[in-house]
Parts: sequence; structure tokens; C-alpha cells
Amino acid sequence: MVSSFDSGLVPELASSISEVIHLFLGSPDAHVKPQFMDAEVQDILTRITGLDLEKVFRPIKQELKPPTYKLMTDAQLKEVTQSAREQAQRLLKMPPVLPERKPINDVLSEDKILEGMDTAKYVFTDITFNIPHRERFIVIREPTGTLRKASWEERQDPHPVFKEENLKVVFVQDHHEDVLDLCQVQFELDSSEYIRVHAATYEDLEKMRKYDLLRSTRPIGGLVWYLKDLCVRPVAPNLFRLLYHPLNLALPAVPLKYPLIYAKRESQRAGYVELALQAYEQTSAESSV
Amino acid sequence: MVCKSLASFLLKTYHGGHIVIRLAMAGHKQPNRPFYRIVAAYNKRARDSKYIEQLGSYDPLPNIYNEKLVSFNSDRIKYWMGCGAHPTKPVAKLLGLAGFFPLHPMTVTEAERRRGLAELAEGAAPEEVDKQQEL
Repeated sequence: MVSSFDSGLVPELASSISEVIHLFLGSPDAHVKPQFMDAEVQDILTRITGLDLEKVFRPIKQELKPPTYKLMTDAQLKEVTQSAREQAQRLLKMPPVLPERKPINDVLSEDKILEGMDTAKYVFTDITFNIPHRERFIVIREPTGTLRKASWEERQDPHPVFKEENLKVVFVQDHHEDVLDLCQVQFELDSSEYIRVHAATYEDLEKMRKYDLLRSTRPIGGLVWYLKDLCVRPVAPNLFRLLYHPLNLALPAVPLKYPLIYAKRESQRAGYVELALQAYEQTSAESSV
Repeated sequence: MVCKSLASFLLKTYHGGHIVIRLAMAGHKQPNRPFYRIVAAYNKRARDSKYIEQLGSYDPLPNIYNEKLVSFNSDRIKYWMGCGAHPTKPVAKLLGLAGFFPLHPMTVTEAERRRGLAELAEGAAPEEVDKQQEL
């Protein structure tokens, strides 16, 4: 049940997640939930992402070029590492998590007199040059005579990768990052397809505990945001079991009261959480003795 | 939108006739597979020959989702209509179906005729079924 994990990841992840939870529970007066784009949230999420230069600049599929060697002094080396870090930060910029876009259901007119005029629908697209794709008029005239705007699905065909069966295959092969990249290229940031694929990826990652795959890459901010939502739903025990596993003795002083508050207030499986906490306390007591 | 310069006047007298917005067959040269372009052209020119500007397309055969795809550049159509172009009947019908123009009366008449034919066919089919049962 317990998979081996990088002991370096989980303490930071644990402390950051508890900070996020703290932000949420906060004071009883705070009724406004923090959004993804708040400065504090972004700060915490960047810290979780980490800055593993090796992984960011790992060899991606490019043209084969022979490596170049440069001779430089220590000061120059520092400068170059610094600029490399800045570029890595830019590369790690999190794609924003937007609320789901509303489906389009506008009916422009209903003409009963036209019923039965043709067996096929007519799809009219306005090809004016300067309008963005979201605002384009794509209008469908049904054989029943109703004139309606085209829904988001009709405007764009989804990639076959994003069907359920194919997603499972891809996850078994550990291609989560590639799926998320493809998804970002293919769909708009607030389409329901995009959100659905991201949710499926995060669920799978959380089930398989493969957090390491996403460490120091772009989507991990979104992953933690999603897990934060999960904490409010009754699936959190896995996460807490991971965080407070007895093996994880290198945990710095993560304030224990936050999970307790969470367990009392919002968790629906308070028993699990408390058990996990007790196990952790026991083992930490044993180790210290 | 004044398009009556000396040059365009001379061109018009040279070409003769007015500008129309009509359907021109796109020369794919495959039998039984038509494809039309919505085009602004001079009236006297041949249907498929040199046009002034392409304003859209129309595919009369439905695709796998049973849709007939029509595209039109509303901005440029408005410009040419402002310059005095006349749309032909099929173009006017298509644009009326799209909602860009008011509905063409012939569309309504065709729909009514089709419904009449469909009712006649339904009326004929039960009679045939009855006859076979009697036999």
C-alpha cells in the first residue's frame, strides 16, 4: 500500500499544504475563499513547485547538436547560473486555473414555418478576419427551423487522446505531463474538457501517489490547488496518510493543530485523520525515545 | 464607404453590368461532387471565371455529422452591399437561413411544399399497407 517516495518532497509538500489549509480555515471571519491568482497563494504554490534545474532543463526532443563548451571564470559562472534560474522560473510559470466557462445555449429564433425544409443542419460560420475565435458567430439552423448558436463542443473536435480509455493507458505509462501539455495546447483554459482532463490526471496521480512526476514542473500548482479542493471532500485521508506517515520522520515542525482543526471542522472522515495523527505521534515519540 | 472613383467607374463601363454576390463552382473537377464559393463578381463574367473577391463557401453535401457547412465574411459582404452589389437568389436564401438577411419568402414556400409532399407520401404509404393486408 505504501509506495516508496522521495523523502525530500513530502516535508515541503506537507508544510506547504498545511499553509494552504491554514489560509483557508484562517480566522472565522474570513468568509472569502482565496482564489488561485492571489499573491499569497501563488507564493506558496511556487515554493511547492521547487526549482530543480536538472529537471527543468532536461534534454527534450530536439535536433541533435554537438554540445558546446565554454571557458569562464567563477563570476561568469555565477551569472550564468543566475540567468538560468530566472529562465527556469519563467518556464515554470503556472497555467492559471480558471472557473469553468458557461455553456452556450442561445436560441436566436424559432421559425416553425421552416419545419421540414431540409434533412441536414446548416452550420454558418462568420469568417471575418479580426474577431477572436470565442466571439465568432457560429450559428446552426436545425431542420426544425430553430436558429441557435453552436455550443463549445461543436466548435472544436476533441483529440482522441482525451477519451477515458486512452487516458488510462497514458497514465499507466507515466505520461501525465505530456497529457497536460497537450491539453493546454488543444483546449481553451476554461473549457469543461480542459478541466475534466486535469481533474482525471490529478485524481490518478493522487491515487498512485506519483507526486514526484510533477515536481518542479508547471502543472504542480494546479495539482495542489485541486488537492486543496479534495481536502474539503471526503477523499483527503490518503493525502494525510502520506503526509504523516511514520516513515517520514524528517518532517520539520509542521504545526499539528491545523490538521486537527480541519478534521473537526470540514473533514467527513475525522476518524481516519485522527488515527493517522496518532500513529505519527506514536512513532515520533518512539523515535525520540 | 465610397467606391465610386474614376477608376472604378471606367472599369464598370468596361466590364458592363453591375457587381453581384453569387455562388461560383470551385473547380475541383470531380463528377457528382459540387462545392461552391460565395463570390463578388461582375455580372457579365462567366460563373466560374475571374471574380473580384471571395466572400465565403458553401458545401451542399452534408458531412458525417449531417451538417452542411457554410462560411461567409460578414464584414466584406456588408461592404459590397454598401457598394451596390446584388445578391442572387440562392445566396439570399442562404443568408436568410443564417439570420444575416431576413428570411427569403421562397424558403418558406419550399418548406411548405416539402411538408405537403411528405404528407402525401404518408397518406399513400398506409393505403398501400392496407391493400397488402387485404390481399
